[in-house]
Amino acid sequence: MIDFIDYLLGGISSGAIIALMALALVLVWRSTRVVNFAQLGQAMFTTYIALTVRELTGSWFLGLIIAMAAGLIVGVIVHFLVIRPVKRLDTSGAIIATFGVLIALEALAAMVWGGDPEAFPPPINNSGYEAFGRIWPFSPYDLLVLASVVVLVLALSVVFTRTNVGLAMRASAFNPEVARLSGVRVNRMLVLGWAIAGLVGAVAGVLVAPLSTLSPTSFDIFLVFAFTAAVIGGLDSLVGAVAFGIGTGLVIALVSGYSDSSNAPLVALVLLVLNLLFKPEGVFSHHKARAV
Amino acid sequence: MLRIDGLSVNYGAVEALKNVSLDVPPGRVTAVIGANGAGKSTLMRTLAGLQKPLAGRVLFNDEDITGGKPEDIVRMGIALVPEGRSTIPDLTVEENLKLGGMWRTHAQRATSLTRVYALFPVLGERRDLGADTLSGGERQQLAIGRALMTGPQALLLDEPSLGLAPLIVTQILELVELMARDSGLAVLLVEQNAVTALRVAKTGIVLNLGEIVKSGPAQEIAQDEELRHAYLGY
Repeated sequence: MIDFIDYLLGGISSGAIIALMALALVLVWRSTRVVNFAQLGQAMFTTYIALTVRELTGSWFLGLIIAMAAGLIVGVIVHFLVIRPVKRLDTSGAIIATFGVLIALEALAAMVWGGDPEAFPPPINNSGYEAFGRIWPFSPYDLLVLASVVVLVLALSVVFTRTNVGLAMRASAFNPEVARLSGVRVNRMLVLGWAIAGLVGAVAGVLVAPLSTLSPTSFDIFLVFAFTAAVIGGLDSLVGAVAFGIGTGLVIALVSGYSDSSNAPLVALVLLVLNLLFKPEGVFSHHKARAV
Repeated sequence: MLRIDGLSVNYGAVEALKNVSLDVPPGRVTAVIGANGAGKSTLMRTLAGLQKPLAGRVLFNDEDITGGKPEDIVRMGIALVPEGRSTIPDLTVEENLKLGGMWRTHAQRATSLTRVYALFPVLGERRDLGADTLSGGERQQLAIGRALMTGPQALLLDEPSLGLAPLIVTQILELVELMARDSGLAVLLVEQNAVTALRVAKTGIVLNLGEIVKSGPAQEIAQDEELRHAYLGY
C-alpha cells in the first residue's frame, strides 16, 4: 500500500507536465484541426534557449520567461512558414509537415547545442520531503511544478472564459463562419492559438527538463504520452487534456513502479486503443463522433 | 442604403444568380421570395461576403463593398443571420450575444445588449444557460440578437421561418418590422414562406432560378394569383 502511494506521489508532477503538453496539442487542434507533432520539438528548442539564458545570467526564472516568449514566437513562425502554405492543399499534408518541422528543429538544436544530453538542474531542492519518519517521493521542486501548472491552467481558463479574445478564440474553434459573420478576425485567432500553444509547451519543457536530461530528442517520449492524453480527452477539450494528462502521468508512474519504466509507452498505446474502441469521440469532446 | 447592381454568382457549376439588381432602403422590410433553389441563400451569402460574385456590384451607402471579407462587411454595418439558426450551442446565451460586435466600444455594446434583452426578454432570463437549451424559436431570436449586437444599419435575414411554428414566425417578423420602422434599419428578408414575408414587407421581389421575375409593392405581389401559381406554389 505504501508503494502505491509512493508511485502516485512520484507521478503527480510528471502528470501535471503531461497535462500542459496535452493542452498545447489541444490548443493547436482547436484552432486549425491539425495535430502538431512538432509541439514538443518546439518545447525542446525553447528549453535549450532557457538553458543558455540560465548559464549566461544565472537566473532560472529569467530563463523560463525568455523561453515562454520564444515559445510564442516559434509557435507563430511554425504556423506561418509551414502550416499556412501546406494547409491550403490539405490537412494531412499539414500534419506530415509538422513531422518535418520536428526533424528540422532536432537537427538545428544538435547543430547549435550539440547532441549530447545536458544537465538541467532544478532551481530548488529536488529531494523528497521528510515526514512521519520516512522520505516521501515528493520534493519542493515537485511542488513548484505543480504550482506553476495550476497557475498557468487557471490563467488560461480566465483568458478563455472571461475575456473577449478568449470568447473569440472559442467561437472561432466551434464555428468559424458564425465567428466571421460576427466580426471576429478568425485567422488571427488561429495564429494566436498556435502562439499560446507554443508558450504552454515552453513552460512544460522548462519544467520537465530537470526530471531527466536535455537532449534534442529527450522530449520525444512525452509526445506519445501527451498525444494519448489529448486524444482520450477528446482532442478539442481543454478540461479533458488537463484531466487525462494528469491521469496518464499517474498510470505511467504506477506501471513504471510495479513493472518497468520501459513498459510506459506500451501502456499509453493500450489506453489509446481502448479509448478508440469504446469511446472514439473522446471523453470530453464536443462532437458526437470522430473519424479515426 | 444597400444597392445590388447586376449581380451574378455561380454556385459550383450552377448559375445561382443571373444579373440581379435590387435596392434595400432603410426603415422597412424588403422581402425576396421564391421556391427552394431560387438562389435566395446565395444572394444573402454573397452580400455578407461568404461567396464571391462573378459579376456585378454591391454598394453600401454608395461605397463599393463587392467581394469584401465577411468580418469587414459586418464591421461596415451589414449583419447576416444565416439560415438554420446559427447560434453556437457550446456557448451560453450571453456569450453568443457578446460575440457580435467585439470591435465596438464597451458603452456601445452595453447599450446594444440592454436593447436585445428588452426586445427578446426570454434571452435575458436565460442569459447564463447554454444556447443548446433553447427552443427553435428562442434560438432564432438569439441569432437575430447576435446580429443586432454588431450595431447594423442593414439586417439580412435568411429564411428565419424554417422549422418554426407559424405563430412564432409571425411574432418574430412583426418585431423585426417594428424595429425597421423605429430605428431606420434596412431589412432584407429572404423567405420560402411568402405569405408571412409579404405581410411584414413593403416591397416584394420574386426570385426564380436565379432571376428576378417580378418586383413591386408587397401587397400587389401577395394578390397576384398568376404569380402565386407559377412561382410560389400555393
